[in-house]
Amino acid sequence: MLVSYNWLNKYFDNALPEPEKVADALTFYAWEIDGIEKVGDDTVLDVKVLPDKAMWGLSHRGIAKDLSVILKLPLKSDPLSTKPELLPLSDLVKIKVESKSCRCFAGALIKGVKVGPSPEWLKEALEALGQRSINNIVDASNYVMFDIGQPSHAFDASIVGEGVLVRQAEKGETLKALDETEYTFTEEDTVIATLSDKRALSIAGIKGGVESGISEKTTDIFLEAANWDPTSTRKSANRLKLRSDASSRYENSIVPEMVPYGLKAVVDLVIEIAGGELVGYNEINNTVSKKTSVTVSLEKINSVLGLSLTADDVISVIDRFGWEYKVNNEEFVITSPFERTDLNIAEDVIEEIGRIYGYEHVVAVVPEPIKQTEINQRFYYSEVIRDVLIERGFSEIFTSSFRSEDKVKLANAFASDKGYLRGDLKTNIKEALVKNAPNADLLGVRQIRIFEIGTVFNESGEELLLALGVQGPSGYKAKSDDPIITDAIQILSDALDVKLSAPAVEGIVEIKLGELLTKLPEVTSYKKSESEPALTYKPFSSYPAIVRDIAMWVDEGVNVTEIEELLNEKAGPLRVRTTLFDEFKKDGKVSYAFRLVFQSSEKTLEGSQVDSIMDDVYKAIKERGFEVR
Amino acid sequence: MEQKGHKHPLSKIITEVNSIFSELGFVFAEGPEMEETHYNFDLLNVPKDHPSRDMQDTFYIEGKPDHVLRTHTSPVQVRYMESHKPPIRIIVPGKVFRNEATDATHEAQFYQLEGLMIDKDVSLAHLKGTLEFFFSKFFGGNTEVRLRPSFFPFVEPGVEVDMRLTGDDAPEKLKGRWIEIMGAGMVHPNVIRNAGIDPDVYQGFAFGMGMDRLAMMKYGVDDVRLFYTGDLRVVNQF
Repeated sequence: MLVSYNWLNKYFDNALPEPEKVADALTFYAWEIDGIEKVGDDTVLDVKVLPDKAMWGLSHRGIAKDLSVILKLPLKSDPLSTKPELLPLSDLVKIKVESKSCRCFAGALIKGVKVGPSPEWLKEALEALGQRSINNIVDASNYVMFDIGQPSHAFDASIVGEGVLVRQAEKGETLKALDETEYTFTEEDTVIATLSDKRALSIAGIKGGVESGISEKTTDIFLEAANWDPTSTRKSANRLKLRSDASSRYENSIVPEMVPYGLKAVVDLVIEIAGGELVGYNEINNTVSKKTSVTVSLEKINSVLGLSLTADDVISVIDRFGWEYKVNNEEFVITSPFERTDLNIAEDVIEEIGRIYGYEHVVAVVPEPIKQTEINQRFYYSEVIRDVLIERGFSEIFTSSFRSEDKVKLANAFASDKGYLRGDLKTNIKEALVKNAPNADLLGVRQIRIFEIGTVFNESGEELLLALGVQGPSGYKAKSDDPIITDAIQILSDALDVKLSAPAVEGIVEIKLGELLTKLPEVTSYKKSESEPALTYKPFSSYPAIVRDIAMWVDEGVNVTEIEELLNEKAGPLRVRTTLFDEFKKDGKVSYAFRLVFQSSEKTLEGSQVDSIMDDVYKAIKERGFEVR
Repeated sequence: MEQKGHKHPLSKIITEVNSIFSELGFVFAEGPEMEETHYNFDLLNVPKDHPSRDMQDTFYIEGKPDHVLRTHTSPVQVRYMESHKPPIRIIVPGKVFRNEATDATHEAQFYQLEGLMIDKDVSLAHLKGTLEFFFSKFFGGNTEVRLRPSFFPFVEPGVEVDMRLTGDDAPEKLKGRWIEIMGAGMVHPNVIRNAGIDPDVYQGFAFGMGMDRLAMMKYGVDDVRLFYTGDLRVVNQF
């Protein structure tokens, strides 16, 4: 919720600390701050009010109240401290409620208003929050919502007529709302209609209709403040794809007791800035308000928070909140204020005590080590498989669980090519082989060898698979690929002590690992993992690589490392890999063949550029006395 | 001789995480990726048609209205508590799914690390201690942990956890500043009760953090999507 610093300040006699300090206070003791921005001579904080405290927190009053507790700054006056005096009930306003989603409905009729622009202070207050100023009537209603949290709505009384009817919508019924969009209802939506001919005027708890909106010609207004069932409001808002500041407050269970506070505040403000006279008031209340009390002991507070608070520490926080409480034998019975239905169990109160006292006081305690009671078989054997395959030159990949077509379909896919869940791993392995094959030289490998251990999905649920694949750099399956797989499977069989019969198809094998695990013996401890050296990832170049081979005869005593160092030095910074790929002895000499891979991180290399580098390399090799083959 | 292959960075992280938490006796627990809505939400105190369900964008399965792709590893908390008696110490490293736009820091699939400790008298101090123990070992050197108030339906009190690496071995880019790292809190009594354990006797903490994020910080990877491309130009660096 966007919160104006100047607006908050109206709640205090002593000025608040500067906005950044206020933001910090909220961050460490209440809510995260998603943003802080200067708007004119004001500062606007984007306070991330979370659902648990949203029934009172989505308002300047709520945030000011919390700040007063955090900062130990008393509020000048709390608009919720005294119940507003009820306006005289009158027959001039008729309200009939048929819908169960309406928990409370109050209406006030004001005659003789002068619709016009809002005073500057009001415009500024709303505009700071990014709200457009519309006219003094609508602005007054909005102001009160942002101020104390209670939404309200102003109808042109000449359209309402004798009164309103709150009813379920009819299937297919439509209404053009104030956003100029026509909405089509189901029987589950609730509308506010005219009492006389049951014509829908507004969408309950969500948005007003165009027909009964306030215009320059309006002289009499019907002000509504109500409370709507959170679940029905949420369902309607979802169905209509229409979320408003009002609907989000109802969804978050603002309490029905707020209705008279809201209506009284709007009536007062309208009369102050638009004139007119309150001639009628009525209300229907379908809820019984009940006060909840929560019992929590000092012992429990300290046991959960890991603190050693005294009863006085706790009382000091409770006093700042201004909650009614009794304390008996270090046990507190707290009666929550009417607007806070978030204090229901001991832990709710403990959180309030903890955050206000300050989590910075919690001192870290490392739990005493205990013996591990179970070893995860799936993880244990997956690690064994990883170790074996990695030893045989296989690298582990993780691929997407989503694909464009398969058995299990998502009901709400985020992209059309990701509408299904993978039903196998071999398809992903195949794709990855093809994708990696052109990079074999760059990677310094003869074939791409990969595997994945992962979950796949089918009609009967999910299962764990292992898939591995091999592919030569040409992109075609070479005859030599299958023996590599066969060999890997054999070694896996040995390591797991089971017979794995899994024929390779096109260089790929898939094994039902979940099934296999059930046949493997239980294990009682993990292998000790070696500590890993620190590693930093380097972004790879997206430009193509160029490959050049060089072969030479050298005397038997020559160290191969020395040759490599010479090659690397002469090949310069564009060389990204050197691989020794062939080596044999003949007549006291050794033939070494190296593959050099060149790649730029800035552009596509020209063959001629690499050739001229290779000329230098050849020259250096010859000068060293090696015989280039 | 062909050179050795490479372990995926996320697998490396999981191995390391398991090894560190094993020292304190935490068990590696697991659960299904396609989860019952009941476990993913209801038993975790996230009621149907409540705004708290909006906190996670969920993938639903066609023709299976009572199943979702799990949005977090938290359902394993309940599954494990249902079949075990306290004291309970588990970690759940596992794949989770969120239906949201992908970018360098968001993927529709990622790995989460859940932690749960249930016993008599487990407190926020143990949460803080456990996390400092873990981060110090994982990133090397000293790590401070800071708690801020927050809300997750399955914990009460709920906290956001920041960490600050101060050790000499800490990656230079991360050293010395506070980093928001995860959500945590004391397990909500409703969740403990839903799993068949008496919340008047037992209490404990839970936490959940992104493992991809841990890997990104540890290895300096700048795009989460790189972990799922199957590209060996990434994997073979590890």
